[in-house]
Amino acid sequence: MTATAYLTGFGRYLPGDPVDNDGIVSRLGGDDRVTDRIRRMVLEENGIRQRHYALDERGEPTELNEELAVKALRAALDDRGIDARDLRMLACATTMGDALVPGFGSMVHGRLGGGPMQVLTAQGVCASSLAALDAAAAKIRLGDHPVAAVVGSELPSRSLRQRRFDGVNARMDSHFLRWMLSDGAGAAIVEFQPHPTKASLRIDWVRHVSLAHDHEVCMRSGMDGLEAVVGATWQDVDIADAQAAGMFVLRQDIGVLDQLAEAGISQFEELVDTGLIDMRRLDHVVCHYSTNRFRDLAFEGIRRRIPTLDTDRWFSNLETRGNTGTASIFIALEEAWHDGRFRPGETVLLAVPESARFSFAFAHLTVVAPPGAPAAAPTRGVAASAVTASADTPSTAPHEQGA
Amino acid sequence: MTATSAAPATASLAERLATVWDAFDRRLEEVPILRRLAEGTVTIEDYRRLLFNLRQQVVDGSPWISRAAASFDIDHFALRTAAISHAQEEHRDYLMIERDYVAVGGTLEELRAGRKNIGSEALSGYMFHAASQPNPVGLLGAMFIIEGLGAQRAAGWARRFQEVLGLADNQVHFMVYHQEADSEHTGNLEAILTSGMIDDEAADQIVRCAEVVARLYVLQLEELDS
Repeated sequence: MTATAYLTGFGRYLPGDPVDNDGIVSRLGGDDRVTDRIRRMVLEENGIRQRHYALDERGEPTELNEELAVKALRAALDDRGIDARDLRMLACATTMGDALVPGFGSMVHGRLGGGPMQVLTAQGVCASSLAALDAAAAKIRLGDHPVAAVVGSELPSRSLRQRRFDGVNARMDSHFLRWMLSDGAGAAIVEFQPHPTKASLRIDWVRHVSLAHDHEVCMRSGMDGLEAVVGATWQDVDIADAQAAGMFVLRQDIGVLDQLAEAGISQFEELVDTGLIDMRRLDHVVCHYSTNRFRDLAFEGIRRRIPTLDTDRWFSNLETRGNTGTASIFIALEEAWHDGRFRPGETVLLAVPESARFSFAFAHLTVVAPPGAPAAAPTRGVAASAVTASADTPSTAPHEQGA
Repeated sequence: MTATSAAPATASLAERLATVWDAFDRRLEEVPILRRLAEGTVTIEDYRRLLFNLRQQVVDGSPWISRAAASFDIDHFALRTAAISHAQEEHRDYLMIERDYVAVGGTLEELRAGRKNIGSEALSGYMFHAASQPNPVGLLGAMFIIEGLGAQRAAGWARRFQEVLGLADNQVHFMVYHQEADSEHTGNLEAILTSGMIDDEAADQIVRCAEVVARLYVLQLEELDS
């Protein structure tokens, strides 16, 4: 027999004040006429209105990635009312830590403190957040640990500044990400018991799948072109040559992103077909996507299956918090949770596509009332709710639901 | 506990022990934490407290059995042998409690800094006293109660704690393990009790010891954290 894993505390940290679209240039540079036009185009497509950077107004770094992670973790620990000393496992997800070595998780643990604990670094891109959650949830279910923390943290802004692009052939494959990505961290506490006095999110399952066997590299840094070649990665060639070749610029083959959306919908449909997702009982979807255009593609795809899809039950804070990569799903979940969108008995699907080499992660959660609270009312589901949504939109105040 | 004195003088040792067991079993049902367990209102804190309290006495288990082994003379060689191997089998048991305790959120430091509750003090004190007597045959009665508890009740408690609190197998090792280990021990005990080496005087000692240990064990479960 295994235990059950619950999410019992949520935290996020977004560095500095929100930066609107007009404030980007002073931090990241790129104020020439061509770049300016491209930026406006990209921003229009991704729909992001404000984001956060760990950069001051002149573009100088203000914090480390590990600091963002620790601040989000402290917020989650405070939300749960426990201390770092209570943790037995720390699962950290990031695209790039501050240093090449040691692992990001070790650095976060060192800064966070607490006692001895298992540390895991899930290095990847957006879906590594749920890979970290999966690992923590599995160890909780096994009964190996009573309390774990998961954090997704990103600080891409420093490598999006002009100096990285000077003299480099930067096309749309780098501009798309440059004007989309921003900084932040989101964290959650995972335990084998629900929160004693507040609502919790039970982790029903986590699924993570890579389709790299069938897809070329899409998002990359540190190599020239789509294939890693012996003797030609950034670790092989002179650093100056690597810089000149633009190897340190984060790039994305935007031509295949429509395929990514299609593949993500297929993965979702497979979960529906195998019964892991019951559309009649699915109340909320918290979805990570890089730009609003892909949200629309996802809606269309799901509508093929569920014509009565109620898009109000989808939550994303991309437009106001930016695309924070692997941190984004936890930053969105934290906001949805503390805004009181979820009620006991309702189900939540987390969905994270990762373009890097086609990975997809999903997690299915159920809101559980505190022990001893009255049983939850039956749920309506995203599809069924379309009829009654306007009269019955969740409005639980934060203090009633684990804020 | 007067049940055995009411038993007919001709009752066999097994029958007299069965009477002690029945009274013990009824008392166990009244222990608050076990009642909450049966009702399904037990909390994770209850389980942690139970492990914490048991651990403080279980660390003494193998030492009192060893003491008993040393108190058997050469005429009781079979019992000395049984006690020595039993002590060997038990002397790492408390480590299982410690792992379970940590797995449900406790710390080794607080567990190891703990002290026996009032019931455990009485139980442990009595066991060492009895084990220090020459040829402490009566302790077979203590074994009957303690091993019987492990064999017949511990795994049921473990399952129920798992059911009510959603615990993983990894968090109930101690209680589950005792079903297997103590079933083997009670089998060995049966063999000794029916071997013909127990005379009437020894039988009286065994029954009396079982009565005392049954009462003190219940006291240990009643007096959590006292």
